[in-house]
Amino acid sequence: MAAASSSDSDCGRAESNEASSKWLDAHYDPVANIHTFSSCLALADLHGDGEYKLVVGDLGPGGQHPRLKVLKGPTVLTESPLPALPAAAATFLMEQHEPRTPALALASGPCVYVYKNLRPYFKFSLPQLPPNPLEQDLWNQAKEDRIDPLTLKEMLEGIREKAEVPLSVQSLRFLQLELREMEAFVSQHKSKSIKRQTVITTMTTLKKNLADEDAVSCLVLGTENKELLVLDPEAFIILAKMSLPSVPVFLDVSGQFDVEFRLAAACRNGNIYILRRDSKRPKYCIELSAQPVGLVRVHKVLVVGSTQDSLHGFTHKGKKLWTVQMPAAILTMNLLEQHSRGLQAVMAGLANGEVRIYRDKTLLNVIRTPDAVTSLCFGRYGREDNTLIMTTRGGGLIIKILKRTAVFVEGGGEAGPPPAQALKLNVPRKTRLYVDQTLREREAGTAMHRTFQTDLYLLRLRTARAYVQALESSLNPVSVTAREPLKLHAVVQGLGPTFKLTLHLQNTSAARPILGLLVCFLYNEVLYALPRAFFKVPLLVPGLSYPLETFVESLSDKGISDIIKVLVLREGQSAPLLSAHINMPVSEGLAAA
Amino acid sequence: MGLPRMKRTARHSFTGSITATSVERDPTLSRFPENPLKRDVQPPDLFPSPLRPLLPFPFVWLSGRRPISGREVVGGAKMAEETLAMRTQFPASAESQKPRLKKAQEFPILEKQNWLIHLHYIRKDYEACKAVIKEQLQETQGLCEYAIYVQALIFRLEGNIQESLELFQTCAVLSPQCADNLKQVARSLFLLGKHKAAIEVYNEAAKLNQTDWEICHNLGVCYIYLKQFKKAQEQLHNALHLNRHDLTYIMLGKIHLLEGDLDKAIEIYKKAVEFSPENTELLTTLGLLYLQLGIYQKAFEHLGNALTYDPTNYKAILAAGSMMQTHGDFDVALTKYRVVACAVPESPPLWNNIGMCFFGKKKYVAAISCLKRANYLAPFDWKILYNLGLVHLTMQQYASAFHFLSAAINFQPKMGELYMLLAVALTNLEDPENAKRAYAEAIRLDKCNPLVNLNYAVLLYNQGEKQGALAQYQEMEKKVHLLQDSSSLEFDAEMVDMAQKLGAALQVGEALVWTKPVKDTKSKHRTTSTSKAASLQQPLGSNQALGQAMSSAAAYGKLPSGAGGTSHLTKPPSLPLEPQPTVEAHPNEASAQIREK
Repeated sequence: MAAASSSDSDCGRAESNEASSKWLDAHYDPVANIHTFSSCLALADLHGDGEYKLVVGDLGPGGQHPRLKVLKGPTVLTESPLPALPAAAATFLMEQHEPRTPALALASGPCVYVYKNLRPYFKFSLPQLPPNPLEQDLWNQAKEDRIDPLTLKEMLEGIREKAEVPLSVQSLRFLQLELREMEAFVSQHKSKSIKRQTVITTMTTLKKNLADEDAVSCLVLGTENKELLVLDPEAFIILAKMSLPSVPVFLDVSGQFDVEFRLAAACRNGNIYILRRDSKRPKYCIELSAQPVGLVRVHKVLVVGSTQDSLHGFTHKGKKLWTVQMPAAILTMNLLEQHSRGLQAVMAGLANGEVRIYRDKTLLNVIRTPDAVTSLCFGRYGREDNTLIMTTRGGGLIIKILKRTAVFVEGGGEAGPPPAQALKLNVPRKTRLYVDQTLREREAGTAMHRTFQTDLYLLRLRTARAYVQALESSLNPVSVTAREPLKLHAVVQGLGPTFKLTLHLQNTSAARPILGLLVCFLYNEVLYALPRAFFKVPLLVPGLSYPLETFVESLSDKGISDIIKVLVLREGQSAPLLSAHINMPVSEGLAAA
Repeated sequence: MGLPRMKRTARHSFTGSITATSVERDPTLSRFPENPLKRDVQPPDLFPSPLRPLLPFPFVWLSGRRPISGREVVGGAKMAEETLAMRTQFPASAESQKPRLKKAQEFPILEKQNWLIHLHYIRKDYEACKAVIKEQLQETQGLCEYAIYVQALIFRLEGNIQESLELFQTCAVLSPQCADNLKQVARSLFLLGKHKAAIEVYNEAAKLNQTDWEICHNLGVCYIYLKQFKKAQEQLHNALHLNRHDLTYIMLGKIHLLEGDLDKAIEIYKKAVEFSPENTELLTTLGLLYLQLGIYQKAFEHLGNALTYDPTNYKAILAAGSMMQTHGDFDVALTKYRVVACAVPESPPLWNNIGMCFFGKKKYVAAISCLKRANYLAPFDWKILYNLGLVHLTMQQYASAFHFLSAAINFQPKMGELYMLLAVALTNLEDPENAKRAYAEAIRLDKCNPLVNLNYAVLLYNQGEKQGALAQYQEMEKKVHLLQDSSSLEFDAEMVDMAQKLGAALQVGEALVWTKPVKDTKSKHRTTSTSKAASLQQPLGSNQALGQAMSSAAAYGKLPSGAGGTSHLTKPPSLPLEPQPTVEAHPNEASAQIREK
């Protein structure tokens, strides 16, 4: 209980949701500054003293300062900068002899760095990829100055479009250059041999020939050029090479290399490929309809988390067994293995700050954390067998210890009907008013209906009458006659006593212009004065709106306003085509004076 | 084991050289400009291990291989001999290596951080992802194809489809042999609604990769949008042949639904459920299709399955609830609806169904308030108005009922039962003339429901028009015969009772068509009105007619369009509404289902 006791002082800060929780809060540091993935966490007895350490391949805030951190209990034991971002960390036994201290492997870029006793021990670099022979030829020619840069460019372009083997970075750079820069580039680089290097995307371990807990293990690497490599733990030579149709992202291996093994690789194209010892190509393929976010094997079931917020279970032959929907996006997954009770389960860290533990499709436990958990790891830490280590999005570190009395039972999470089923329906209550109205309607329904119908008829009648009247006296602002389709609207501007009255007259006919219209204003001459009360309208071209402006002077100083009627007339007809009543505003200018 | 020993020796010699304070230089170092050699110039306290004493000088990575007998060393690694040879040329100090490292100008590996971009992307941490992409693109001067690819995916997720299309096209230029890039170009075109262009690009991609179900599937979806269902089916079947996916089944089922072929659609969904027995969407759709065809047992089975896997499935709950209502399990249905009321509180069908549950439980006031809420949420839904009219008739609020029913008729003028209910309301509002006209319209529109004729006959009889009543009574008998011939169902007890009474009054009583005069337990609460009806010259009770109306209301929900609806008079009144709206909602969603990768 070293970890637990040494972190007792921190326990106060860590919050416990329920007293009945299965977990002891051992440590919570919200500013531990650890930013990493589950694949970069490893627990191992690095010094062979029975005290398990946590190895973290830390990407650093924003992926800027990658570091290798080794934690003992809640404290950082050592910390050293890394040359590049770590893609995966793993601990494994390299050799048989005592003391059996596991080595630490850290995959980063094209290399695996192996540490023993926490000291740099060996660096394995991925072999160079064979360059395209045509490309090689071209550069050789360039070296001997037998080819000019322009031809070189054309030839390389041709290779890029057709060839199976992609070009080297050097050639790709060259193709991007402007004409004048080419010469210099060629002379600078022609003497170098062209190289193609790939990088490691993922790494895991595979037992060599014994199934024991402390047997020698090989490293299994997934690379960017769609290959899987198995490395010999002692000589670091490539024991086996397998190729995949896509780039591997997550790996899961079971079995022993020398006997029989199964390798599941979740790839970037959304598929999971399953390989066996003697197969150079994938034997089975699981096509997910989304990207996998985690791959964990529980006994014989492959559990895959997908970006569609769900966990899927598959057999090792790729048959779908079950699906569980998660309440939020899955961020990371890992295996929970409790040796003492023979339990294996899947832990999934979700974006809503929960860590859910599933055995098959039954939810065993939900841990709520103050921040979304981005990496998870369960195992022996310090001297405590069942420790859960979580790091959060904000760089926090949470360590929880499974109580020794804790037993995971089914239904430990949510079960039964959804909680909403117990809520009462929100039905409005009946009011006194409603009851009264209902009673009244029952008593006098017929009368109400008749009154309503009578009123409705009256309303319709009046509407019809008003409409007919408007049509008859041309009071409407839109003329409906076929010969002069016109639209009129008027705007009054100003504060007074002088207003500007603008009439917008529009000919709405499709093609025919209108000629010979007159505008006439009718108003109370005591109140208003207009320069021209009657004028001719110019020819109206179809579609255009003609603004006709005139000034209106308010004569009254009593602050009263009146209506000005605008009539649009046709020459020689007494009945107006259109009319508009303009409610003049009160002259404010005069009132103020 | 011979190997360990050999290794040990190698290790010994190594440490030996170190203690002699000599630094061996690794020939591979110059190849890794930013490799751990930086350590050489850093303070040596990298691993302050408590167990071992610190080594007094910087470390060097060994990249050379130890000699291993009989094995060929593969791939560019240096042999141990080389390392040993190197040991002779001890450099003076670690610092002296540094300038050499700088001199060799190296190009960064293009794919260096692809794995990181991908990890951020699948975690939906798009901000971090974009930062890495930016860095990577700057470093590689825009040559890193995968970075561009993911950037385009993110753009698409953010809704900038045009930008994403352009980036995918860049990717396609960078590696023209890759089908995936073409697929994404096509997908962006598809999202922009350029289906024809998308089909062209998919066909290009199909040339590069013939065994990709996704290409076939998406081609099929494009053809659906172009209304070329034959071609779409062909492509979708191809996709299924390559690899079976739920989505493909769903799209295929939708084609059949769009073509109106329910049986074929059911067949497809059956296969889909067989393949993926826990997909709630498939289960619900299949259940609803069975419901539409009136195969209630199977419908309930599938809906129930859907609810086991997802107890909060909106569609399944509504459909299953409506079936429970049909069977009179109002309380169970209400409990189920609570779940939906929490998840989708503004669903008009939900409140309609809840209202009709209360109606079934004779809590009329609650029924009215729920229905009014439904009506508020969906003012143009005639089914809700119909139910409101019905409930108000029951409450004897005939004036209100009239308004709701006439509103319903305005939205749905082709529905005989609506006119019948309107006629009932008008009868009670003492407007027999208009009631008769409404009945006439109802009879014109509805050819198989005997209730219309019965109600009309009652009205005519009460008005003293025995001749007309007799004619309607005979018409009703005809319809009853027809219904009995086509199925062996029971009629609503109350309706039978009423018909018998009317028959007696019209003195045609012996020609009874009803096979089973059912013990009338249900109409007890309306004894007053029945007794009134019994005293012949009294007007036949309005409540009576209403009872009939209600049973007919129960019926109509199952009547697809009046034709072939035979099995509907058996069940007690429940909700008219349910199955239709949910099923109808289906085709509209067709567009949203395409796979997002």
